[in-house]
Amino acid sequence: MLRVPFKGEELDRDLDEELQSYLDLLIEEKTRTGMDPAQARREALIELGGTEQVKASVRETRHGAALDILLHDIRFALRMLRRSAGFAAVFVTTLAIGIGANTALFSTIKALLLSQLPYQEPDRLVASEKTYDGRDAGPISRLDFFDFRRLCGSFDGFCTLSPSMRMAMTGGERSEAVGAVYTTWDLFPTLGVMPALGRNFTEGEEDLSGANVVVIGHDLWQRRFGGSEQAIGASLYLEGTTYEVIGVMPPGFRFLYDTDLWIVIDRDCPIDAQRDSHSLRAVGRLKKGVSLEQAQSEIDAVAAVLENEYPETNAKKGLRLYPLRDYMVAHVRPSLNLLIATTGLLLLIACINVAGLQLARGQRRVSEMAMRSALGASRRRLIRQLLTESVILTMVAGLVGIVVAFLFHYLLLRLLPLGDPGVPIPTIDGTVLLFALAISVVTGLVVGIVPALRGTSRNVWQKLETSTRTSESTSGTRLRTILVVVQVAMSVGLMIGCGLLVRSMVNLASVNLGFETDNVIGGTYSFPSDDQTTTAERVERFTSLIDKIKAHPGVWDAAAITKLPIASRGTDWPIWHASEPRPEPRDSIMGLTRAATPGYFSTIGIPLLRGRDFAATDAEGSDPTVIISEALARDLFPDRDPLGQSVKLGWFDFAFEVIGVVGNAKINGVRSDFDQAIYLSSGQFGPPFQWLVIRTEGDPEILAAGIRKLVEEKDRNAILGDLVTMEALVDEDLTGFRVVMLALGLLSVVAMLLTAVGLYGVLAYHVSERRNEFGIRTALGAVPVDLTSLIMKKGLAMVGIGLAFGFVGASLSSRLIQRLLFEIEPLDPIAYVGGAVFFGTVAVIACLVPAWRAARINPVAALRSE
Amino acid sequence: MVENKTEILRGTLDMLILKTISLAPMHGLGISRRIEQITNGVFQVKPGSLFPALHRMEQEGWVSGEWGESENNRRAKYYELTDAGKARLGEEQKGWSRLVLTIGKVLEAN
Repeated sequence: MLRVPFKGEELDRDLDEELQSYLDLLIEEKTRTGMDPAQARREALIELGGTEQVKASVRETRHGAALDILLHDIRFALRMLRRSAGFAAVFVTTLAIGIGANTALFSTIKALLLSQLPYQEPDRLVASEKTYDGRDAGPISRLDFFDFRRLCGSFDGFCTLSPSMRMAMTGGERSEAVGAVYTTWDLFPTLGVMPALGRNFTEGEEDLSGANVVVIGHDLWQRRFGGSEQAIGASLYLEGTTYEVIGVMPPGFRFLYDTDLWIVIDRDCPIDAQRDSHSLRAVGRLKKGVSLEQAQSEIDAVAAVLENEYPETNAKKGLRLYPLRDYMVAHVRPSLNLLIATTGLLLLIACINVAGLQLARGQRRVSEMAMRSALGASRRRLIRQLLTESVILTMVAGLVGIVVAFLFHYLLLRLLPLGDPGVPIPTIDGTVLLFALAISVVTGLVVGIVPALRGTSRNVWQKLETSTRTSESTSGTRLRTILVVVQVAMSVGLMIGCGLLVRSMVNLASVNLGFETDNVIGGTYSFPSDDQTTTAERVERFTSLIDKIKAHPGVWDAAAITKLPIASRGTDWPIWHASEPRPEPRDSIMGLTRAATPGYFSTIGIPLLRGRDFAATDAEGSDPTVIISEALARDLFPDRDPLGQSVKLGWFDFAFEVIGVVGNAKINGVRSDFDQAIYLSSGQFGPPFQWLVIRTEGDPEILAAGIRKLVEEKDRNAILGDLVTMEALVDEDLTGFRVVMLALGLLSVVAMLLTAVGLYGVLAYHVSERRNEFGIRTALGAVPVDLTSLIMKKGLAMVGIGLAFGFVGASLSSRLIQRLLFEIEPLDPIAYVGGAVFFGTVAVIACLVPAWRAARINPVAALRSE
Repeated sequence: MVENKTEILRGTLDMLILKTISLAPMHGLGISRRIEQITNGVFQVKPGSLFPALHRMEQEGWVSGEWGESENNRRAKYYELTDAGKARLGEEQKGWSRLVLTIGKVLEAN
């Protein structure tokens, strides 16, 4: 087969000879019957029917003809393209942008949605969420979990994990705050990843009281034990309790939560002592052959059993299973979908521009096509030729696009909210390059097919030949006009989407957080405590520390809170009137629960609206007190004064008196609308782990070092975490959204510029088509303004219609991005008008240039050059 | 532009050419004339159909072509049936008979 391309010429010559011989014999035959030699020759030629056609037919039947023809097409295409280098350059640049953006996005999608999770047979892994009345409602409780595990047979391993909990690890050279996850003995076998050193937990350890065994992560192993094998069997001191290290996980292992070590859940596990306390996540591996739906039905059945047995805590409570992958990427999905749509539209716009270029070029090559057709090329052959050109160009564009993709990719990586444990990082690898190649070839075919069809159609040739030079526009231009209107519509749609996001961003940036971010700094503080330390002792340690900090020069105020706003989220407890019975979980009013020291609210700037702040008197032994947020006050006591009221909350069996109401604050994140908060007095419970909150008079960063020194001097065994400013925390919270907005903005602007170019292109071509007409008009007395307005009218008509369609399209689809918007309606008029005006301005400028040129057409030159 | 004859005719043409040169090696024009003669002018094989067919069969190995001299000492390429071609001709003939029988049955059916 490889020989053929070279043998082809040899065969051609042979065929030539053979045909010549045929002709000679035919002439001879005719002259023998007495015909005049010249006449015989004429008739023979007619009978032969045209050597080129015959040769073409023979060539096509050759083996490897396809390859031969393809190579020939490629060589021919390259020759043609060299001659139109300008066209090729514009083509490649335009498409490279579109292909590049899509390729970069594909690498992200592939990493998030298509690539393998680093566990064994990850498609059989499921995660879960508890439901109330069918609505998703977060983690499940330990006791419920164990019942599910006992009663369900659909799983080859059903495990649970707690979120990562901060613990003080003491002993050794220095104390450290580590993250610990409580888990069942079989988490690692279920995932299919076993400890690299030592052993996994045993089933028996779950039944022990105080098993106190841990498996540590690779990083901790290096940090604490220098990577030595002596780690196995060594002791770790966490929160005053001794644990034995039994295993080390392989490097890079993560699952759901970033943590330093895993502790087995044993009988003494402090988590979720009650059935209606929910802190755990359940995951499992489906048995081979069991589908998610089957497992779900079994789970539903067990949930019903639990509902019957524990009506107080399990009414209407269920569990919903999700494929693990879906669960892990759920929060990125909306942004990702938006980006997919945007890059898709961008590519479409680029394709339209490019198709327009080809249509124009095709019209110029009509005579070439007609001649080649006469020489024997079939229409199919011509089309194949043109498509080859198209595909070569798009493949080059694809290569350039890969470079563009790297650029986009770099931006995306730095900005998207990825990096969650276990969520893969996108890379550009073989598959992605293959995607770029595939998309290039497909684009080349799509973009080339219509111009190829038009360029080789007999009808079009005839029309072009006979068309008068004063005609308005050929159908080719009409097609391009329609395409440009479509481009305008899509571009406007993107602009409007961008406008909506920008408005959301503005709202987000200026939302009332409910607390101060200027000059406020916070850091975690914990000291090891065991059963020996009394509540009073723990309270005293924090109180004396806070007093010392307050005395430090430059500090305006200081306090402590168990969860710093934005940095530390969650933990919502039920709260109800003390006089009423405990409500069912799904009916409970929930509030984000924290414990605070006196002075917390003034330090962080949350206004005290009614009543009083905690005081030193709100200590252990005195009547339990609580402060609630305004939203919670409204929910609990819509028609009376909350002060002095008695409430019960969480799992305490005693009542609390409401002593104060504070303003609402975005403690659960800037975008959160969970305004209900419950504040308990630290003095009454003495939590060993709290966030120090400090308001400084000047720049908090300057004081950070001084404060750290002070804290560490006071207690060597205590651990102070990194000090972060509230400003930085809030800023980081908005990063993810900001990125999406910037990405969409960038893509929309590029799309708009491409559309403007397309608009300009059509009008410029239109003007050049009508040069002679304009020349005549000018000669007959038309004023430049007349011609300009002619073109402008056409241009504005295209833009106007496009705008209208764009508006309609945007209003229909903006509902889809509603989840991303913040305090903005999908039909926000400012975004729509803003987008339209911005785009409209650029579009009008794009129309003005050819319109102005039209006015300057020299009539003499135009008429002469026809 | 050359139009392709229908598929049925292509297979039939192959068979006719093979049969024609099974009797004696012939050059292109000769094959055309022979077929025209035997069918009393019904089948007129134009060069546009003949040469593609000949070259295709040459590639398949059913015929082999060699340059030689015609009756009047003109150079011409003569085609000869190969053993494979002989076998092919046999198959084509069988297939053709079967086709004729089957169509006949259809036409006779009530």
